Amino acid sequence: MRPIILQGHERPLTQIKYNHDGDLLFSCAKDKVINVWFSHNGERLGTYEGHTGAIWTCDINKSSTLMVSGAADNTMRLWDVKTGKQLYKWEFPTAVKRVEFNEDDTRILAVTEERMGYAGTVTVFRVPISESDAAAETPLYVITTRESKATVAGWSYLSKFLFTGHEDGSVSRYDAITGEFVESKQVHNSGSTITDLQFYPDRTYFITSCKDTTAKAIDVDSFEVIKTYLTDTPLNTSSFTPVQDFVILGGGQEARDVTTTAARQGKFEARFYHAILEEELGRVKGHFGPINTIAVHPKGTGYASGGEDGYVRVHFFDKNYFDFKYTL
Amino acid sequence: MVDQLEDSVIETNYDEVIDTFDDMNLKPELLRGIYAYGFERPSAIQQRAIMPILGERDVLAQAQSGTGKTATFSISVLQKIDTSLKQCQALILAPTRELAQQIQKVVVALGDLMNVECHACIGGTLVRDDMAALQAGVHVVVGTPGRVHDMIQRRALPTDAVQMFVLDEADEMLSRGFKDQIYDIFQLLPPTAQVVLLSATMPQDVLEVTTKFMRDPIRILVKKDELTLEGIKQFYVAVEKEEWKLDTLCDLYETVTVTQAVIFCNTRRKVDWLTEQLTERDFTVSSMHGDMDQAQRDTLMHEFRTGSSRILITTDLLARGIDVQQVSLVINYDLPANRENYIHRIGRGGRFGRKGVSINFVTNDDVRMMREIEQFYNTHIEEMPMNIADLI
Repeated sequence: MRPIILQGHERPLTQIKYNHDGDLLFSCAKDKVINVWFSHNGERLGTYEGHTGAIWTCDINKSSTLMVSGAADNTMRLWDVKTGKQLYKWEFPTAVKRVEFNEDDTRILAVTEERMGYAGTVTVFRVPISESDAAAETPLYVITTRESKATVAGWSYLSKFLFTGHEDGSVSRYDAITGEFVESKQVHNSGSTITDLQFYPDRTYFITSCKDTTAKAIDVDSFEVIKTYLTDTPLNTSSFTPVQDFVILGGGQEARDVTTTAARQGKFEARFYHAILEEELGRVKGHFGPINTIAVHPKGTGYASGGEDGYVRVHFFDKNYFDFKYTL
Repeated sequence: MVDQLEDSVIETNYDEVIDTFDDMNLKPELLRGIYAYGFERPSAIQQRAIMPILGERDVLAQAQSGTGKTATFSISVLQKIDTSLKQCQALILAPTRELAQQIQKVVVALGDLMNVECHACIGGTLVRDDMAALQAGVHVVVGTPGRVHDMIQRRALPTDAVQMFVLDEADEMLSRGFKDQIYDIFQLLPPTAQVVLLSATMPQDVLEVTTKFMRDPIRILVKKDELTLEGIKQFYVAVEKEEWKLDTLCDLYETVTVTQAVIFCNTRRKVDWLTEQLTERDFTVSSMHGDMDQAQRDTLMHEFRTGSSRILITTDLLARGIDVQQVSLVINYDLPANRENYIHRIGRGGRFGRKGVSINFVTNDDVRMMREIEQFYNTHIEEMPMNIADLI
């Protein structure tokens, strides 16, 4: 099946997310809007307007009633998914680069940028009970990142730990109840930015993608790297697929270099790897700019990618995908 | 004499680099506006040209298509203006109305937190609307030469506070068609005004003309064999005869509509003819050229930019500067009449962060021109492969 191409953004995509049931796909871009689409046919349901800067990130709660977004206008906002109404707003001194609800949707994390003299943070809030819940404005705790700013973060199972990926290629673990630092590991090459961190659905392990051209699967309990996926291009995003044991990686050459180097050097394909055997299985072409974000349908029936080219491409896995068995 | 001039004029005379916006000592509200726009790090031309432009000297800056020149001069302009003074302090000129409007949007977006007033002063709109806006007071004017000159002459646009004069697509602006108007406007500016010229192409004759406008400029130039964008695959189709181009285009239509494409013709008449032919064959296309009224041009541009229409047939009116996110294919239905426009046309598809493909329809009469372009820019235009759909 030919992919559905969603054209609703006038500037590069930054993050896409499926809701918990997988029937909706949310897309964020630098054009200050978030679009929501029916994932099965690419029809657009609506647009969330209100941010005054490029939108970097969003997340949706399990019941698909609330969406949280973070943007370059230095705000994090909470929205009613159904009506598109903005319910709450938090202000920061710098851009909000990553937001995520925790597992039981009681808390939200926000990763803020290190810039203009401000340190980067991971700030955790309680989800407001109502629009007038003034107490939700105060963070539960603020993690000021240590040597290197956090670029991505996520919650482990039972919201026991907070994991952060950093600009220097390290990953840190924090107690998610108190915000206390537990430990840090140099997971990727020193000095290479970690660009994405996505958990397997049960949140017992996660995958990080990095500009050092690798992605790593990391176990939550042992904090050990359990798998490494080697590519030949800087990576911007990585995700696990449920049902079949694959990972999908995306990236490509830096946006600033794309126009002045040969077309074949772009490496804008989505790469499929066997999650266990760490072998590349195939590639999917289509984007003509770097892939900035990939999300996998929670039922494992397909995936979507968003690129610097302004397109979201929605792919559906066919029968051969599910019949595939790796031959040793 | 000519050799001497060529050596001294062509060379770059500045090579300092600043690699973060934070290190450029920009105003905090401008810095926040840059980050809010979604920029994170400066591109190569931004690293090199913003600081010299802020340093008072005249600047001549060249960079490949789609590498961030508009943001370069927009940031410099915004850094220099005093928003407490409601007078035109920077004048930016562009060769087309569409490009002027596009620049104005970038200036307003980057200057969002500065409460900057930036007016687009272009032909085809009501003169009295422009006069009213200018008399209300603006910090920056972006315009096309004809209307700007008219506004200055009518005293609607005082120029005594202008400290920056920016020419985008400078070689086009200083070419035969615009040169006299530019010079007239220049004469009406304060002698202390800083002149900033930018383009992807800087032919020798234009470099010579710049000596009339500029005092000892800082020059940031690109060698001509580095001008072509390797990020754009260049192909030709040997159609042999002019009348076979249409069938070739129809054969390509399904491939073309997978993404957004711009088709260039050399004359307005041919744009209209081709649009009519394709429409008669039930293909969906839009077209634009200079004879259309402004409201029509604005609507077409909006439809194309948002993806409502996917194919735009046009003249060299849109060869320069226009940046539409999803365009990845440029078709030269006719080869351009001059070499510089070749670079500009194919640069509509290979914008910042995106690869592009260009396809040239070449008749027997065009082969020599195509080889000249290859030789001049030290590039290679290969025959279009059968699997072109895989490359778009």
